[in-house]
Amino acid sequence: MRKSFLLARSNLRKSKGQTAAIFVLMLLAASMLNLWLMLSTDYKQNFDRYHDKLHAEHVTLSVDRHDTEMQNFLIRTLEKKKQTTEFSLTDSMHMVGSFAFHGGEISTELIFLEKQAALSRSVGKIELIKDSNIQSGIYLPILYQSEKNAIGKTIQVSVGSHKIEYTICGFFNSIMAGSHNCSLCEVLLTEDKYRELEQSGYAPASTLCSIRLKEKSKSQSYETQLKNMVSSYDPSVRTISNSYTLVSQSRYISQMICSGIISAMAFFILLIALIVVASNILNYIQENMKNLGTLKAVGYTGSQLIHALLLQFLGISLAASLLGESISYGMFPFLNTMMISQTGIPYRIHFLPFPFFFTLLVSSGVTALVVWLSSRRIKKVEPIVALRQGLLTHNFKKNWISLETTGIPLDLALALKTTFSAMKQNITVCITMLVLSLIVVFSGLMTENVIVDMTPFSNLIVGETADSCINIQTDLEKAFLQKMQSDPRVEKIYLYHSVSVRHVNGVELVATICDDFAKVNNQDVVFEGRFPKFDNEIAIAAKYAKEHDLNIGDEITIAANGMEAAYLISGYTQTSNQLGKDCLLTRAGYMRLGKLSNASYYLNLSDQTDIDIFHEEIKEHFQKAVNTTINVASILEGSASVYVSLMMMIVITVLVLSVIIIAFVLYLLVRTMLRNKKQDYGILKALGFTTKQLILQTAFSFLPAVILSTIVGSAVCSLIINPLTAFFLNSIGIVKCTFRVPADYIILASIILILSAFLLICLFAWKIRKITPRSLLAGE
Amino acid sequence: MKNILLKTSQLSKSFSSGGRLQHVLKNIDLELYEGDFTVIMGASGAGKSTLLYALSGMDTPSLGTIAFKDQIISTLNQDQLAIFRRHHCGFVFQQIYLIDGMSLMDNVLSAGLLVIKDKKILLDRARNLFTAVDLSEETWKKFPAQISGGEAQRAGMVRALINHPEILFADEPTGALNFKTGLDVLNTLTDFNEHGQSIVMVTHDMRSARRGNRILYLKDGIILGECNLGKYIPQDPARHNTLSAFLSEMGW
Ligand SMILES: Nc1ncnc2c1ncn2[C@@H]1O[C@H](COP(=O)(O)OP(=O)(O)O)[C@@H](O)[C@H]1O
Ligand SMILES: [Mg+2]
Repeated sequence: MRKSFLLARSNLRKSKGQTAAIFVLMLLAASMLNLWLMLSTDYKQNFDRYHDKLHAEHVTLSVDRHDTEMQNFLIRTLEKKKQTTEFSLTDSMHMVGSFAFHGGEISTELIFLEKQAALSRSVGKIELIKDSNIQSGIYLPILYQSEKNAIGKTIQVSVGSHKIEYTICGFFNSIMAGSHNCSLCEVLLTEDKYRELEQSGYAPASTLCSIRLKEKSKSQSYETQLKNMVSSYDPSVRTISNSYTLVSQSRYISQMICSGIISAMAFFILLIALIVVASNILNYIQENMKNLGTLKAVGYTGSQLIHALLLQFLGISLAASLLGESISYGMFPFLNTMMISQTGIPYRIHFLPFPFFFTLLVSSGVTALVVWLSSRRIKKVEPIVALRQGLLTHNFKKNWISLETTGIPLDLALALKTTFSAMKQNITVCITMLVLSLIVVFSGLMTENVIVDMTPFSNLIVGETADSCINIQTDLEKAFLQKMQSDPRVEKIYLYHSVSVRHVNGVELVATICDDFAKVNNQDVVFEGRFPKFDNEIAIAAKYAKEHDLNIGDEITIAANGMEAAYLISGYTQTSNQLGKDCLLTRAGYMRLGKLSNASYYLNLSDQTDIDIFHEEIKEHFQKAVNTTINVASILEGSASVYVSLMMMIVITVLVLSVIIIAFVLYLLVRTMLRNKKQDYGILKALGFTTKQLILQTAFSFLPAVILSTIVGSAVCSLIINPLTAFFLNSIGIVKCTFRVPADYIILASIILILSAFLLICLFAWKIRKITPRSLLAGE
Repeated sequence: MKNILLKTSQLSKSFSSGGRLQHVLKNIDLELYEGDFTVIMGASGAGKSTLLYALSGMDTPSLGTIAFKDQIISTLNQDQLAIFRRHHCGFVFQQIYLIDGMSLMDNVLSAGLLVIKDKKILLDRARNLFTAVDLSEETWKKFPAQISGGEAQRAGMVRALINHPEILFADEPTGALNFKTGLDVLNTLTDFNEHGQSIVMVTHDMRSARRGNRILYLKDGIILGECNLGKYIPQDPARHNTLSAFLSEMGW
């Protein structure tokens, strides 16, 4: 053991550069791995911890009635259901509302609670995170704290079509209703403000039920059943609801994106690091055949020599992993701040033993395995043979690119000779460049579809987008439409109204009703089959269809308002909004189940139109008939900015990482090549080759592998990136992804990748100038 | 009167080893002539190789100038020296130094293509030279590891001569060879010299030295003396005696 240790130390001393490069790669891999494990275990579990801490509900339901009759019905119903373990009912008001946030607007179902009533709830507790002694005003979810939304400042909240100004008193956290991603969002009002709102009649008095279940996995079906029971009891009530399943996923979309990308990065970097280790060992054996033979001759066993290598690389890997892990703890706070802006759930970073030790175990385990596999041939080294022949590993079978017959210019021909005789190097280059081209294509895709123009991304995630959404009572619908059609600012107007329906035998679905689907902006929502055209057609979420084995052409029965009707499936849809639980109906189709009492219209407005002013005018004209107006454009900006900045960070990080990786891998390869070919370079210099020629030859010898793998990699990745993204987004309801693959960007980036590889090699090969023909004399 | 091919003045070379400056060559003034077979002799470590590499532009002197014909080469940078070498010099090394990864032919052509752009002319020359050193066509395709030391050194000579060098430098070309193959190599060198090839050869062995027409003796960093033997005649006892006398005078 001691001997192995001494050997390992001398090996390390001889290869400082390689050691450093492997160290950095291992460090990156370990930090990614640890980060990924932390994100996907404890960070994700934080939701459950918070859920427990706040004794949160598994199903939330808000019904816009709060008379005793309704409340008694609710209590009876909830007590009857076997899954119910505990619940609390609280007086509230609910209404679609919005407020400014991050340069955009947040619009969601707002549930107004009286502060004291809210704080005394037994289920679905609210945690005041920031408080002040301001006596009159509003408390917002902690997620919406920003420079503009700070304690003491005023905020304008739209309630339906009315605007109210409140002073911000503080911030709170509610696990199931603390973000627009929960599909409903609580806000607390001090008692005076609550009474004011009650008296204004802007928002209907409602009852908020928070129910805890025996099994949280049943939350979705429970939610559906409960809603059905309520609406069959009183078809006129409007209910809004969510479930544990929905919230636990939708609040963690950014976590999912981050950990998906980080896990992929961790995997690839580890792979590259291991390849580098393996080729390093193979080279070491080749270079040191004579030394190894000598060592064996003086009595070292093959195992001792392998142990030395194991010690050496395990040492590097352990040290690198430890440092990498501390770096991941250093990076976590940034990631945490990024993600909190989407999850809205505070997370306290602390030491996590499982990811820590698992990372150590994985990185040292695979390193040991790779070292063992690639160093086994040491056992076969026979001392006499090794001593006598030294380098025996050259394969002289073929004289690649014979100078006698080739028409290729001399420098290139010599480079190609090297290329063909250095297959190990080519493989390492290829794998590295394949990984890097995947990264380039991915970052191109994200830049194009999220950062530069996020329409494709929002089409995918949000579904339909327009400039404005106006909800109007149906009695005045005709007059409204006439006015809109004569308004020059309105470029397009169409019905786009969501109601909840139930799939008989299944769960609740959000049905979107449109008078003519040809008018909707996002024609990609239906990605297979077509939009429903006739009153007996329906398009349903692909994810849901898959789970329930429903095919295009099948008939399904939908229920709403106590009525049932059968529809033929005309196509599949996908949006992440309802996590894959939505469907599309024509208006005529929905009429078979009931009538609409109000209708939401989507409008495209001309570019110069000030959407808010436009809304004011409409409200003035139609007065009470206008229920809500939503500035969709600014809402999109608001909720999208989170994703844009997250993506931007991810893209920049992966690009920086890929530059680092390519630099280190190439450094290692060039170094190895210079070592192996030092004598050849000396001879060639003596024969009259200049340093420039030799540097170019070195760089050219890498280029075939670099170019080939970059081209193949970019092409293949461009083809598979959409399915791959869809695969990652599957859990939020995305089945098929049709992001635009930016060919120009990818071609440009590939060229840059190849050029920078070339330049880096030249830079690393710059050392050739130090090789003098005189060094040939050294052997004398 | 012979033409001067190489001329040094005040040529010095020092190495710093372990912080100490070691003066290997001291103010050497030397002229080498066209058509000569010059031999540099001296004990091991005398600085013979150092002198040879300085003369051939493989290395730059610490002080002094070296002129090749009318061109001062001691002020050239590394790349300019490389270009100078490919056009004017050929090298034969003791360790032969063929490139392992290439066939013998490609070893020769990789040097030849640097200068001779016409492939046909180049190939003709290579074939003629290979034949001249008595290497058969099937050997050309072999790799250095597949042939004997003597064959390798003869291939090395083909490579050295491929570009019609004005001067051929040989550093103990027979040092790594056995008697018989060493003899072949010497015969080949003598043969080329008789056809007008200027040669500078370093050796510390009398049998090799006898081939030269001009013998220089290097000791303590200076040319201690020189001896002219005239045209090489095999088995010439007078030549042998002259050389022996010269060497013992030099303290050999
Ligand atoms: N690169 C070098 N660095 C330091 N000392 C050197 C170097 N090359 C040669 N020497 C020294 O110069 C002296 C002459 O070397 P060399 O010319 O090789 O002798 P020879 O060829 O006559 O045996 C030796 O003492 C050697 O140690
Ligand atoms: Mg020598």
